[in-house]
Amino acid sequence: MKLTIMELQDRYIRFEIDGIDYSIANMLRRTLINDIPKLAIKNVIFHLGSIQRIDKDGKEHTYNSSSPLFNEIIAHRLGLIPLPTDLNMKFREDCEHPLDQACPLCTVTYTLTKYGPDTVYSGDLIPVGDSSFAPIEKEIPIVKLNETQALLIDAEAIMGTAKQHARWQVTSGVSYKYHREFLIPKIESDIIEKLKKDCPKNIINESDEGLLITDDIPCKHIASLFRIDGVKIKDDDSRFIFQFETDGSLTAKQTLLYAIHRLKERLSKIRDSITV
Amino acid sequence: MIIPVRCFSCGRVIATDYIKFRDEVERIRNTEKREPTKEEISKIFDDLGVKRYCCRRMIVSHIDLIDEVIEFD
Repeated sequence: MKLTIMELQDRYIRFEIDGIDYSIANMLRRTLINDIPKLAIKNVIFHLGSIQRIDKDGKEHTYNSSSPLFNEIIAHRLGLIPLPTDLNMKFREDCEHPLDQACPLCTVTYTLTKYGPDTVYSGDLIPVGDSSFAPIEKEIPIVKLNETQALLIDAEAIMGTAKQHARWQVTSGVSYKYHREFLIPKIESDIIEKLKKDCPKNIINESDEGLLITDDIPCKHIASLFRIDGVKIKDDDSRFIFQFETDGSLTAKQTLLYAIHRLKERLSKIRDSITV
Repeated sequence: MIIPVRCFSCGRVIATDYIKFRDEVERIRNTEKREPTKEEISKIFDDLGVKRYCCRRMIVSHIDLIDEVIEFD
């Protein structure tokens, strides 16, 4: 088994695994989708009733703690904001205290205070204590407030996996495909000239038999190959091209490394539970 | 009402992309005095890295109604 990284960005990865079958490939895919832990807001406490504040003009103003959206919707939107994750943090179930209590090992608390008229953004969410837990994306709109409205929120973020809820989903667009080769016989065609000109050079191989092209790296002209006669298509069902992107809470590399570690952990659990 | 934070189908965060998309479309409307063409819209998506059509439909089909609701307290 050989793993080659073909493209690596902070939040995107494309890699090839050679020498596995589809059951293992699918195991890795499913682990990437639903078994990566991350931090997300779970409990939200809203301040209710009116709020008095002395504004910049020196007068006292009264705000209502209401907004155009229901509190449940605001809580849900807060939950979906990606937060930077430290994989060393514990799940609350694994902590020794009761589930309704919090400790710094399993919980990060946030506050949000905003007076209208204004738009509440994810950047207004301020972590209590360690400022490195501030949301990565600052520009996610949460809700808009008019002149009489204000929002006072305390929120608690805990670790979880996407098995429990979509708020803990790290990856999106996790997919794999077979490595595929197109063998084009030696013929003159505009399509082939275009392919040679526009496609990435490392997917084309010229030999005596003709032109050998793979679709490991997407190229917009590859679809036109199906229109040429005599093109031989060969799928290799032991070479898998994976790709996925993350929401920023973990980097793509961290996510892949954790997924492999997690797979190993779960498989060894099965092995250890077998008694003869 | 307001743009969903994530794509319904795949879970990619699209709320920030929507803001950038809206500003870019607005810029084309103001400078060129016309609606953006199909090719321009697809280019904006490519530049933002919105690749899948599930995320694209979230942004293309969205209508921001919150400004009309906000008056009724």
